[in-house]
Amino acid sequence: MAELLQFVIAGLKSGSIYALVALGFTIVYAATGAINFAQGEFYMLGGMLGVWFVSLGLPVPVAALCAVVSAAAAGALFELAAVRPIAGGDPLRIIIVTIGGSVVLRQLALHLFGPDELTLASFTPGPSIRLFGAAIERQTLWIWALTLVAVVGLVILYRRTAFGKAMRATSLRRDAARLVGIDARAMVTASFALAAGLGALAGLAVTPLTQTAFDVGAGIGVKGFSAAILGGLGNPIAAVGGGLVLGLLESLAAGYLDPIYKDAISLIVLLAVLFLRPQGLLGGSGKEKV
Amino acid sequence: MRNARWVVALALVVSMTVGMSGCGAQGTQGDSKTAEPIKLGAVLSLTGTYAALGTAEKQALELESARINKSGGIDGHPIELVIEDDATDEAKAVAAASKLIEQDEVVAILGATGTGQSMAIRGDVDRAQVPQISMAGGTAITQQFDANVFQTPWSNTIVVPFVLDAIKKSGVSQIALITDTGGYGKDGKPIIEASAAELGLKIVANETFNPGDTDMTAQLTKIRASGAKAVLLWTAGKEATTIMKNAQGLGMRDGATAVPFFGGSGQARLEFGEGSGDAAEGFTFGTGKSLVSTNWGPDSEEFKVVSDFAKRYEAAYGQAPDIFAGHAFDAFLIVVNALKAAGPDADGAAIRDAIEATNGLVGFAGTFTYSATDHNGLTTEDLSLYRFAGGMWEPAE
Repeated sequence: MAELLQFVIAGLKSGSIYALVALGFTIVYAATGAINFAQGEFYMLGGMLGVWFVSLGLPVPVAALCAVVSAAAAGALFELAAVRPIAGGDPLRIIIVTIGGSVVLRQLALHLFGPDELTLASFTPGPSIRLFGAAIERQTLWIWALTLVAVVGLVILYRRTAFGKAMRATSLRRDAARLVGIDARAMVTASFALAAGLGALAGLAVTPLTQTAFDVGAGIGVKGFSAAILGGLGNPIAAVGGGLVLGLLESLAAGYLDPIYKDAISLIVLLAVLFLRPQGLLGGSGKEKV
Repeated sequence: MRNARWVVALALVVSMTVGMSGCGAQGTQGDSKTAEPIKLGAVLSLTGTYAALGTAEKQALELESARINKSGGIDGHPIELVIEDDATDEAKAVAAASKLIEQDEVVAILGATGTGQSMAIRGDVDRAQVPQISMAGGTAITQQFDANVFQTPWSNTIVVPFVLDAIKKSGVSQIALITDTGGYGKDGKPIIEASAAELGLKIVANETFNPGDTDMTAQLTKIRASGAKAVLLWTAGKEATTIMKNAQGLGMRDGATAVPFFGGSGQARLEFGEGSGDAAEGFTFGTGKSLVSTNWGPDSEEFKVVSDFAKRYEAAYGQAPDIFAGHAFDAFLIVVNALKAAGPDADGAAIRDAIEATNGLVGFAGTFTYSATDHNGLTTEDLSLYRFAGGMWEPAE
């Protein structure tokens, strides 16, 4: 029983990370109809920048904030430099551009930060918390808390603020949104920044447990993408659900089956959803639910 | 939204192809003196999972070839080093090796960095009849014998029994094993299983993980439940740090439920100690004596070779060489030694013969004596036991 609980805790830990990355995929998809394959690289940037700001002597909370804000700025810059010139184009072209962008970001990180893995101290060092024979690392609590804050913040942003409503309006009907005076292009830039910030937050929160390196983005990109597809692209809350389910599936597979299948799970899930239920487990039939 | 479905499916295909490719880098180095240069090829992992290892190896090779060339090369012939990046990818390693052989016409290949990549290029090496000196620790490299392939690190066949012996001497009889499914762990696993049976150690949990995994809590939970009195971790990847942190999170590193952890050469990395912090406190691992050069005794030839190299490396790069730089140093030393014997005009086959005749050559990893049946050339005499204290290793005992 304690074993099962431990697997669930581990699954929800990875799942929260996948959820944050998946959120980024859905946000950019809502704004452009395209998949941002550079999303995983912003996860990498979050961890790398966090380590770099800490090495400058900043306290961890400030360094974390700086890392997330800089990664979001990098996301906005990426959109302005690479995506906007082909804006309004085929989503396929945007996808190709983001793939190219991911390679550029990865190589840039390699040259700026070097090939070695980098470490960040736990946000609050100390022994794990015990719960019915299972252990919860303190950093895991941070991951959960930050995910919760991010999701709640996103919901408030979308539902309560004029800015969020403008983003939703743009994703629903771009031309109509422009007619009522919304700068649709700025909304696309904002969506890339937001997605990058969420990815960076995930990368930052997990670095004390896993370390980070220039090449961690590709793997998490596939996981986050699978989670987004599982939940249904275009529905942020469902993407969070998709992330948690994927994390749980992986952890239980590693626990009760052979860990060797862990990576296969996300790809099997991805293919199964694409074949059987392309709108996602929780998704409706379109992207109207943003 | 039929359209979206296509976009997604296509994007998926593209993402997989991109994931498998990467970026190549290459560099050449050498100087053009009057005499014809001797071309040596190197296949290194400068990007990808083993980037840190490959980069250290590149630095060592460049340092040593510059030194040899400054002192006149081989009978006046400078050595021209052609380095290719395999991006820790077997297919790229093969492409790199065939480029080195066919376009650059090198007389020997140093590399690759990883075991999988080293194994992948031997077909080309055999066809071209040039010697290959691998810097990867995988046993298969010399166990699956190939007349053209040599190896410089301590292979698993000598390190595994050495570490298991240390575990047994610590009074433990039930151990858990956790290995990666990549080259190093996959290579070590069957040797550990066989060697443990020989020594009478019982493996009560036998877990694996994939390179790139970010959470090993599930495997460690099973290990904790198995009642193992020691855990043997066998990997060269950065996931080792995550394992130690997960183990600490599960209460396996301190207090009443603490379990001793053991490992091999894969943990002789500064990043492992720095990254794991107090989660690796007391972690015991076996690897070459040269990790702490004073192990050899201050008057020994080994000490002189290792500390000389360390001094030059530190002067050039501002950091102490790790064992991977050392293995590259050895690969270069062995080839140069063979070239001196076979002459600057020797072809691949003649250099191969000269390498096989290497006898009592003192390098970084120990004393190399190759023979027609042994292309690893090292013994347990060249090994020592270390323990992590305060994020850094020190000789155990």
